[in-house]
Order: sequence, then structure tokens, then C-alpha cells
Amino acid sequence: METILDIIRGFRAADGEVLRIDGAVAEPFAAVDPRKLRVEAAAGASARVVVVHTAPDLSVLEVELAEGAQLELTELFTAEAFAEVSVKQAARSRCRLTTVQLSSANASYRIDLDGADAENELGGVFLAAGSEHCVVKLRTGHNVADCRSNSYVKGVAGGQAVGEFSGLVYVAPDAQRTDARQQSRNILLSETARITTQPQLEIYADDVKCSHGATVGQMDAEAILYMRQRGLSESQARRLQIEGFVGDVVTRCGIEPLCGAIMELASAKMEKL
Amino acid sequence: MLKVHNLHASVDGKEILRGIDLEVKAGEVHAIMGPNGSGKSTLASVLAGNEKFTVTEGSAEFLGRDLLSMPIEDRARLGLFLGFQYPVEIPGVTMANFMKLAVNEQRKFRGEEPLTAAEFLKLMREKSAVVELSSKLTSRAVNEGFSGGEKKKNEIFQMAMLDPKLAILDETDSGLDIDALRIVATGVTKLHTPQNATVVITHYQRLLDYIVPDVVHVLYKGRIIHSGDKSLALRLEKEGYDWLINEYDK
Repeated sequence: METILDIIRGFRAADGEVLRIDGAVAEPFAAVDPRKLRVEAAAGASARVVVVHTAPDLSVLEVELAEGAQLELTELFTAEAFAEVSVKQAARSRCRLTTVQLSSANASYRIDLDGADAENELGGVFLAAGSEHCVVKLRTGHNVADCRSNSYVKGVAGGQAVGEFSGLVYVAPDAQRTDARQQSRNILLSETARITTQPQLEIYADDVKCSHGATVGQMDAEAILYMRQRGLSESQARRLQIEGFVGDVVTRCGIEPLCGAIMELASAKMEKL
Repeated sequence: MLKVHNLHASVDGKEILRGIDLEVKAGEVHAIMGPNGSGKSTLASVLAGNEKFTVTEGSAEFLGRDLLSMPIEDRARLGLFLGFQYPVEIPGVTMANFMKLAVNEQRKFRGEEPLTAAEFLKLMREKSAVVELSSKLTSRAVNEGFSGGEKKKNEIFQMAMLDPKLAILDETDSGLDIDALRIVATGVTKLHTPQNATVVITHYQRLLDYIVPDVVHVLYKGRIIHSGDKSLALRLEKEGYDWLINEYDK
């Protein structure tokens, strides 16, 4: 965790209540345990924002993207925080959101695609061990025509941990040519762990492409055996399999060396699952 | 190198191996043939340490150590390699990452330092040439989306990386076209030295045109009912197993 905080200290601090972004900002912004933060990206602006939750707290994050704005938002939970995130996107804006829960956490995301050709991509991971409880709630609103969304949330629970995912894709009556995808994939590592997943579609337009899917499975015993036959210990084989399962989401933030540090922290957590 | 004596093993209470005796010495190639359901794959799995099977009687010694008391990963680290009949796909885990862990676990077991990144990459390059495995495959996820032939080549590539003392290849030739068979078999032959040994389990004589065995065994109903030299495989190809089976069942 220290590594991650060290890396973040090198970023621009977003410590006020409002972060206004004009133009293209190369250097990432970072906020640690924000109670309330509003991110406003002006038309055509682009930026990357990292939010880290290290203490149990309530956190409200509002994001507003003007026309053509681009934002990459990465959220990391290492303490049980309650986070409410809302993202409003105007025409042609792009938002790429990554959320990684490495402890109990309760995060809800409300995405509103309010202008044509807006695009939202959300990737989420939770790793729940012991008696932890991870919750990801998502509502993606296609409020106008010609928007795209793609959400995939992967959950792993061991011990007596509980994971919950609920995701709603809402397509308004006039939101024709909507392209919305949602995936929830989960692995249970023990008999006592529990994951519930609730994907929902609410569609009021008739010319749309919407898909959703949810799976809850177990570790692949054949793959564990195969890796052990090549000399890996059982715990290494399990960790590698979990890494393989969630790695693409954990490392998608694209900010190095932050990504690598988050992956390392996640790997350490996997050993405990 | 490997001494198996009176080995009995069962799965779900059903006895599959019923008294196997087998001795493999360094430098030798053994072929195990036999009709379907005779216990060939079970023998390979039991020797490798698959916990699905229970050994009920007998012993197996590998490099002077009690093989049956070791967990599967220690058998592997000691130098036993099992080429899987159906290699498993591991999504999201790259070959490089997987092999690096495997090679370094083996080195740790032998009290050697882990390979540096440069040494490891050099090893990957050298060994992938043994089976003409493209570098594209070694950077992909383990077996994911590989064709049947690529999966089997990948098994031999891993064998080359791990340089085992004893390799047991479980129907490595099944599902291969002629070109892939040649590449896989040539790879195995290249890896053979006077210091290591290979046991190939196969249905077909054609593999043995490339990998010439010192001894051919016929497994039937969980026992080795006949052993001979390489001419035995040719006779089996021509005449089938009936002449042996009928003799045995009498």
C-alpha cells in the first residue's frame, strides 16, 4: 500500500471539492479518501484521475464530462468505504472507469449517457476474503440515442466472504441504436463464500443491441492439477488462476507504475483468499 | 531410475491398476500400449501423483526416493514430467509467466538461484525451437485457443524447459496430423539423453517410427501382460491385441 501512496504523491493532488479540467492534461490527478469531489471536464478536455479509499468513510464523487471530453477514472479500495459515484456524459464523451476492491467496500455507480455518441466502459474487480463483504451496484442509463456502454465486473470470494453485484442497464424510449453490454463473472473459492449477481435490463426502445450475462463458478481443479504437475505449489497455482481471471481488469488502468503496484497488492491479497 | 513394484490403484472404489511391475533405467525409452480401458492413463496419473486415484498396494521408487509419499509438485520438481493427453487451458495466464514460476520452483527445490529475466528469455527462445513453437504462442495464455497440435507441441516445449529426468507422455500422438506428429516426436527424440528416460503411452505404432523404444509393454486389465522389444509394436499393429488377450484371459 505504501508503494501506491508513494506513486500517487507524484501525481497532481485533487484535494479541493471541485476539480476543473481544461484541455489535455497528461499528468494524472489523484485524490486520497475524498469526502466529496466533483470532477468537471470541459469540452474536448482529457485527463486521468485516481481515487484511493484507504479509510472507512463515506465518499461522494460526481463526474461531469462536457462534449467530447475524455476521462479515465481508477478507483482502489483498501478499506471499507461507502462510495457513491455518478458520471454524466455529454455527446461524444468517453469515460473509462476501473474499480478495484481489495477489502470490504460498498460502491455504487450511476452512469448517465446524455448526449449522442457518448461511450462508457466500466471494469470492476472485487477480492473478498475472510468475512469481508464487497458490493458493486451499477446503473447505466442510455438516455439518448447512439450511445455505447460496456461493463464487466469480476468477483472472487473465499472464506465466509460475501460478494454482491447488481447491474441495471436502462434504455430510454428514444435511445435507439443503443449498444449496451454487461457481464458479471464470479468465482467462489470455498463452500461458505457467497456471491449474488443480479444483472437487469430495462429497455424501452426497439432498435437496440443489449447483452448481459452472469456466471458464478469455482476454481478449475484440472488447471490446478496441471500447474502442480509443472512444479507449482497449490497456493501458487490458485493465485495464478485468480490472477489470470482478474488480471485484465486490474491492469487496465494504463497508468504505470501504478497498475503494476495495484496488481502486486492484489496478488498479495490472492494469497490470503 | 523408476522402479514400480506390484502397484495397485483404484478410483471411486474401482480397482484400475492390479499389480504393475515396471523398471525404467536412465537412457531408456519404454512404450506402453494396450487396448482402451486397460489402465494406461491411470498408470501415468498415479505415477505423476494425481490425488483422484488411491494407491492400495505396492511401491514406486524414483531416483531412489519413495515416489508415492510425495505430493504431485515435489515429484515434478524432482524431475518427473507428465505430458497430458488433454492439456488444460488456463485463461489469462501467459506461458511465459507460468513457465517462469515452474522453472524457478524447480531450481529452488534443487537449491539453485532463480533465473534472471534475461536468462529465462534466452531459455524460452532456445527451447521453443525444439518443437518449432512460434514465439506468438509462448506470449499467449496457456493453451488458450491453441489447436490440438499446438497444445501437444506446447507440452513438449514445457518438457524441454523443465528438462525432466523421466518424462511420461500420455498419448501425446493422439489427435495429431502427420506434420505435427513428426515435430512432436522429433522434439522428444532431441530431448532424449543417456541421463534421462521416456515412457510413451500410445495406441499407434506410427509414433514409434520416430521414438524408437527399447522396451514395449502391453497393459491389459491393469497389469503388464507382455513385454518385448520394438518388434512387438509392429506385430501389435498388424495383428492387434487379441492373440495376447486371449492367451491371458485363458
